[in-house]
Amino acid sequence: MAAPESHSDFDQRFRKLQELLFEEDGQLTDRIQVELDALRQELRSREDIDARVEPFFDEKLEFLKTNFPDLFGAAMAKTIKQQIRDSQDEMIDALYPIIGRLIRRFVAKELERLTERIDHNINETFSWKGWVKRFRRWFQGESFQDQMMRDMVEAEVEEVFIVDKESGLLAGAWSREERADQDMVAGMLTAIKSFVESAFEQGAQDLETIEYETYKIILHNFQTYYVAVIVSGVVSSAYKTRLRDFVMAFEERYRVVTRVDITEEVVEQNSLLLKERFDEFTKSGDESDAESQ
Amino acid sequence: MQKVSKKVILLGHFGVGKTSLVRRFVHQKFSEEYQTTIGVKIDKKVIVIENDEITMIIWDIEGRSAQSKLPKSYFMGAHGILYVFDLARPNTFGNIEGDLSYFRDLLPQAKVRVVGNKKDLLSEDQLNKVQQELADQVNAYTSAKTGERVDDMFRELGVEMLGKNESK
Repeated sequence: MAAPESHSDFDQRFRKLQELLFEEDGQLTDRIQVELDALRQELRSREDIDARVEPFFDEKLEFLKTNFPDLFGAAMAKTIKQQIRDSQDEMIDALYPIIGRLIRRFVAKELERLTERIDHNINETFSWKGWVKRFRRWFQGESFQDQMMRDMVEAEVEEVFIVDKESGLLAGAWSREERADQDMVAGMLTAIKSFVESAFEQGAQDLETIEYETYKIILHNFQTYYVAVIVSGVVSSAYKTRLRDFVMAFEERYRVVTRVDITEEVVEQNSLLLKERFDEFTKSGDESDAESQ
Repeated sequence: MQKVSKKVILLGHFGVGKTSLVRRFVHQKFSEEYQTTIGVKIDKKVIVIENDEITMIIWDIEGRSAQSKLPKSYFMGAHGILYVFDLARPNTFGNIEGDLSYFRDLLPQAKVRVVGNKKDLLSEDQLNKVQQELADQVNAYTSAKTGERVDDMFRELGVEMLGKNESK
């Protein structure tokens, strides 16, 4: 008969059985413990986190930089428009001082230039050459006031249009630089001309000048078309006369073609003539000034 | 390719949709908001018809029941006339020929198209009734709101102004 098992033997066997049954769980628990320790360690180290997260943010940031207009452009524009609409008074309050400062600076600058020119003109006027110039211009019918103004802010032809009088269609144009749509300008000029001439109908009279800000539109009317010359600066009566004589000579010499179908060829032909002749007009103006000085 | 400019004027009572037709044709836009045209508004559109390019300078003239009281010079030199009326307002198409006779005398060379606008406001029955009433006085039934027949109508006028016979 076998001796009864002691208590310690039983404990030993039980532990063995326990080890056999829970071996895998024990390993798993150990691994979890190791990983948990590692995570704790990582969380403790902020630098480590930054190092891992930063590349991700950089990448996202770069993506946003590149695609911002596509992703948020429309929404931003809508919001800004709405904001501007809702807070017009605040916008005006905010912009007013800035615009005011800009205008003040511009006016001050212009006054400075004007003062310089006045000083220069006074010196020149009382010189021998100045007297000769003044008399020459006086004989040409230009007043002293006009002479002073002309010398201070020289007039310059900016654009010229040949427009069919009835239809308002553009038959030729020359421009110092590309501006608004010339076809539309020709049409609107004709509409304004038509309105004024019919509203203040006093026999067969034509509108001759339109002024806006620092520009003057001088209209020369002929039988089937009119020539509109846009001039910047101060237009003296002598300049106006010179311009009128020039446009008259242009009409007599070239007999501008209109009233037929206004085709591209007609417009190009007239525009070329305008370019040649008005370049000449500008140069001749410079030369006559140089001569008189 | 020939390139030519033509003046087109839009006539008709106020509120018939002249400005909306131009806006639809030139800018492909429509607005429900009504704004009266004062004087004249000018727009431009270039279209190509059978290898020819035509620049239409469109004079959208303010609507009045008696258009002959507007400055005559607004109409002078026009190559094409679009007489527009509102299909939903019979008083705007009660005297089409009478209204047009003044312009036919003034501009004998101009090509004329009569246009019934705001087609979208009418049911099919209502439209049939108006079509029967006006018989062959009308060249096109348009809707500036939906854009229906707007481009075609301007294009047909362009064809006529160029003296072409494009199949419709």
